[in-house]
Amino acid sequence: MISIQRSNMQTETVDLANLPAQDTALEIRNLDLRYGDKQALFDVSMKIPKKQVTAFIGPSGCGKSTLLRCINRMNDLVDTCKIDGEILLHGQNIYDKKVDVAALRRNVGMVFQRPNPFPKSIYENVVYGLRLQGLNNRRELDEAAERSLRGAAIWDEVKDRLHDNAFGLSGGQQQRLVIARAIAIEPEVLLLDEPTSALDPISTLTIEELITELKEKYTVVIVTHNMQQAARVSDQTAFMYMGELVEYGDTNTIFTTPQKRKTEDYITGRYG
Amino acid sequence: MEKMNLNKHISGQFNAELDDIRNRVLAMGGLVERQLEQALDALAGLDAELARTVIDGDHKVNGMEVAIDEECTRIIAKRQPAASDLRLILAISKTITDLERIGDACVRIAKAAVDKRAKSQEPLLVSIESMGRHATRTLHATLDALARMDAEQAFELHKEDAKLDKEYEGIIRQLMTYMMEDPRSIPGVLDVLWAARAVERVGDRCKNICEYIIYYVKGKDVRHTSYEDMEKDLHQ
Repeated sequence: MISIQRSNMQTETVDLANLPAQDTALEIRNLDLRYGDKQALFDVSMKIPKKQVTAFIGPSGCGKSTLLRCINRMNDLVDTCKIDGEILLHGQNIYDKKVDVAALRRNVGMVFQRPNPFPKSIYENVVYGLRLQGLNNRRELDEAAERSLRGAAIWDEVKDRLHDNAFGLSGGQQQRLVIARAIAIEPEVLLLDEPTSALDPISTLTIEELITELKEKYTVVIVTHNMQQAARVSDQTAFMYMGELVEYGDTNTIFTTPQKRKTEDYITGRYG
Repeated sequence: MEKMNLNKHISGQFNAELDDIRNRVLAMGGLVERQLEQALDALAGLDAELARTVIDGDHKVNGMEVAIDEECTRIIAKRQPAASDLRLILAISKTITDLERIGDACVRIAKAAVDKRAKSQEPLLVSIESMGRHATRTLHATLDALARMDAEQAFELHKEDAKLDKEYEGIIRQLMTYMMEDPRSIPGVLDVLWAARAVERVGDRCKNICEYIIYYVKGKDVRHTSYEDMEKDLHQ
């Protein structure tokens, strides 16, 4: 019998368990996290591939945002937080004592649920990180601002009012501005924590379109409550439940034929 | 893959919609099954009146196909089903196409029963009868597997189709000898042959439905694969 060529999508599937080092952006190894007595993450291990979009999904309180925050050590700010295990970036554990947290966060940018531009002009918002790094050359800053705003698909909308206050922008524009700010310092990894949950459906689609473009240059990790969004934008999906990584795999598989009952129940709306 | 629970959506309305669409497919299956039985009875007894009932009844089958298809479209648009729900909708949407085609096969069989030329070949119709009974049993069992979403039974039925194909080959050989014996019988024999062909197609359609059942339960597309691969997929 002649075998039939199945869908092309399957041939592009990444073998996540045996991802070679040069294709791995981040590797999480046996990560446990406790807030005081309460354990929030249990032995999470996963490899996040380079220049792809990886989505974390799961019910509220499952630990997906906590896991995302671990990737640029946002949890350091929580006093009672204790972390065991490793997260490797370029083969180095980011929780190693030698690691400079500011340098890490330059490599791993983050965007939050609600757009949080600074009370400054659009232009100053974008070049803020570069100024902090000591860059003051006007021409270089101009170039970086245009590049980042174009990268965040908002240049055409703001190019004539770069020096207006950023608060004058709509929610969706502000969120794209914040993404422009994050990519201005050219990080390798972009963490998006429910980036569209405060936006209207059209702005949401613009951001989703942007995410697909961003992965050409960056590794994107996104936490989302919107399952269809995860299905639309991500290449890999990780389903978390009660602090455990239940299933992690190719998005096409997770949304058509998940292997675990819990995943199935969650994505078909039977959870609870 | 672990076993599925069908009725536990948070949205009760969604549960109701999926239940309803499953019931409608089974109802359509029941109607098609009755059409097939009556068409074969009509052919065996050369009962033109019964045959006309079958021919007239086909529009009901067609109507059900269209209505269920609309419902599938509506569920996809409104609920964005995923995983097993999505597979259920797709399996249903394909199943009704095959059921409708079985309905068409029934009409073809019934037409042979009305046909005057076929009547002249009455002794030949007997050979179709046993094959027809076989096809009816297969359809009944397939609908049973569909009602229970039983992948194992679907796999067994899938293998069953080869037997029906063999019977069909036997009939063709038999009909060919008749045609060679007396070329004047050719038009009538051909009519019988078309009817036999229609019965054989019922088996093929059942085979397709079995593949959709396996797709729904196991999440594996087993079309155009060998039995060994199917068995592997099934027992993984």
